[in-house]
Amino acid sequence: MIEFRGLHKSFGSLVVLNGVDLTVREGETLVLLGPSGTGKSVLIKHAIGLLEPDAGDVIVDGISVPSATPEELARVRRNVGYVFQNAALFDSLTVLENLWLALDDDRNLRTPESCREEAAELLRKVNLDRSVLDKYPAELSGGMRKRVGVARAIASKPKYLLYDEPTTGLDPVNAENIDKLIMELRREIGVTSIVVTHDLESAFLVGDRIALLFEGRIHACGTPDEILASTDPVVRKFVRRGRADAAVA
Amino acid sequence: MRQVLEWVAASPVHRFLVHVGKATLLAVAVLKTLPRPRSYMASTIQQAYTMGIRSLPLVLFISVLGGAVTSQQTGAQFAGALPIWVVGSVAEKTMVTELAPILTALVLIGRIGASIAAELGTMRVTEQIDALYAMGRDPVPFLVVPRVLGGVLVFPALVVLANVAGMTAAWFVGILTVDGLTTADFVYGARFYFEPFDVWYSVIKGTLFGVAITFLACYIGLEGKGGAEGVGRTTTLATVVSTVAIMIIDVAVVPLLKLF
Repeated sequence: MIEFRGLHKSFGSLVVLNGVDLTVREGETLVLLGPSGTGKSVLIKHAIGLLEPDAGDVIVDGISVPSATPEELARVRRNVGYVFQNAALFDSLTVLENLWLALDDDRNLRTPESCREEAAELLRKVNLDRSVLDKYPAELSGGMRKRVGVARAIASKPKYLLYDEPTTGLDPVNAENIDKLIMELRREIGVTSIVVTHDLESAFLVGDRIALLFEGRIHACGTPDEILASTDPVVRKFVRRGRADAAVA
Repeated sequence: MRQVLEWVAASPVHRFLVHVGKATLLAVAVLKTLPRPRSYMASTIQQAYTMGIRSLPLVLFISVLGGAVTSQQTGAQFAGALPIWVVGSVAEKTMVTELAPILTALVLIGRIGASIAAELGTMRVTEQIDALYAMGRDPVPFLVVPRVLGGVLVFPALVVLANVAGMTAAWFVGILTVDGLTTADFVYGARFYFEPFDVWYSVIKGTLFGVAITFLACYIGLEGKGGAEGVGRTTTLATVVSTVAIMIIDVAVVPLLKLF
C-alpha cells in the first residue's frame, strides 16, 4: 500500500502540494487526474524519494520514504517501477544496455550479453520484438521508447508501477496500445499502479479509481462512475472539458 | 525573523555555501566508491581513452604554439642583454612548470569539462539521472567516478606530451628565428637550470587540474536544471568555474609544494 499523508511541497514561493492525503490500495490502478502543472508528477516522485516533502509523509509498505535509511530506500525503489514521461532512456546506451542496468545491480556481476535473453523476454511483455535490443533510443519511435521505458520499469519485478503521463505525446493508436499494456501488465504481473495523466479517455479506461488533484489537494476521489456522476463543479468542469476534447480528437 | 531567514537563504553567500556543502558530499561519495573498482573500472578506461584520444591533437597544437612564442619572445627580449643560451633556460622553465600544464588545462576545460557538464546536464533535465535513482542505481560510480578517474589518468600524461611538444617547438622556432642560437646553445640553456622536480611539478599540476576540471564539471552538470537553455548555462558555468579554479590551484600549488 502507498499512502500520502498531509504532503506539502513548494518550489520557492510556488506552493505545489498543499496537504495531499491519498491511499493507493493493493492491486488497484489509481489514476491521478488534474490540470497541467498541478503537481501530479511531483506527487508520485515523492513515492520513490526523488523529491523530499516540506511536510507530511509518504509510506510505501510501511516504510516512511522521507525518513528511510539508504537500505530501506533501496528496498522501496526495487519494489516500485517508475515509467518516466519521456521514457528517460539513457541515450548513449542501446536498449539492451538500458535494460541491463535495470536487471543488474551496482556490483556489475553480469555482462549485457548474459542479460540478452532476459531483456528479450521483457520486450516481449511490452509487445516489442527482440530486434530492438541493439538499437539506440534515438532510433525508436515515441511509442516504442515508452514501451522500452515500461520494460525497464518492470525489470526488477516491482510490486508497484508509477506511470508519469504514459500516453502524452502519442498518436491515438499508440496511446490506446499503451493503455492496453497497462491493463495487461496488471493482469499478468498483478502490479498496483498509479497512472498520472490528463488524458480522460485513458483515465476512464484503465483506472479502478480516479483522484482529481486540484490546487494542491485531492479534490475528489472515486470510481470512474462516481467521478462521472459527481455534481462538484470543479469535477464537472474538468470531466466535461476533457471528454469534449476527447470527442473532438 | 522569517524575512531575515528568507533573505539569508536567498543571499549569494548562502547559495555558495550550499554548493560547497553539496560538492563536499559528492567528493566524499566519490572517495567511498573507490574501494569498489568493479563498479567503475570498465567505464573509467573507456572515459580515459576517449578523453585522451579526443584531446591529444588540440593539446599538442596549442603546446607547439606556446613553445614557439616563448622562444621567439625570449630571443626578442633578451638578445644582446643576456647570453643566447638563456632562450633554452626560459623555454624549459616556462613550458614545463607553467605553460604546458596551464595550456593543457585550458584546452581540456573546453574539450572535456564543457562536454561532461553538457552531457550530465542533459541527463539531469531529461530525467535520466532520476531514472538511475529510480532503479536504485547510484550515479556516482556510474557517471562521476569514471570521469574523474579518467581525468586523473589522462591529464598528467597529456601534460608530459605537451611538455615534449612545446620544448621541441621552442627549439625549432628558436634556431630558425633567434639570431645566433644553435641547437647546442638551446640544449645547454635548457639543461643548465633543469631540475628533475620540474617534471614532477608539471605532472602534479596536471593531476590536480584533472581532478578539478572533471569533478567540477560533474558536480555542475548534476546540478543542472531547466531545458536547453539550462544546459547552456550549466556548460558556461562549468567552463568559468573550472578556469577560475585552475588559476587558483596554479597560484596555491607553489607555496604548497615548497612545504615539502
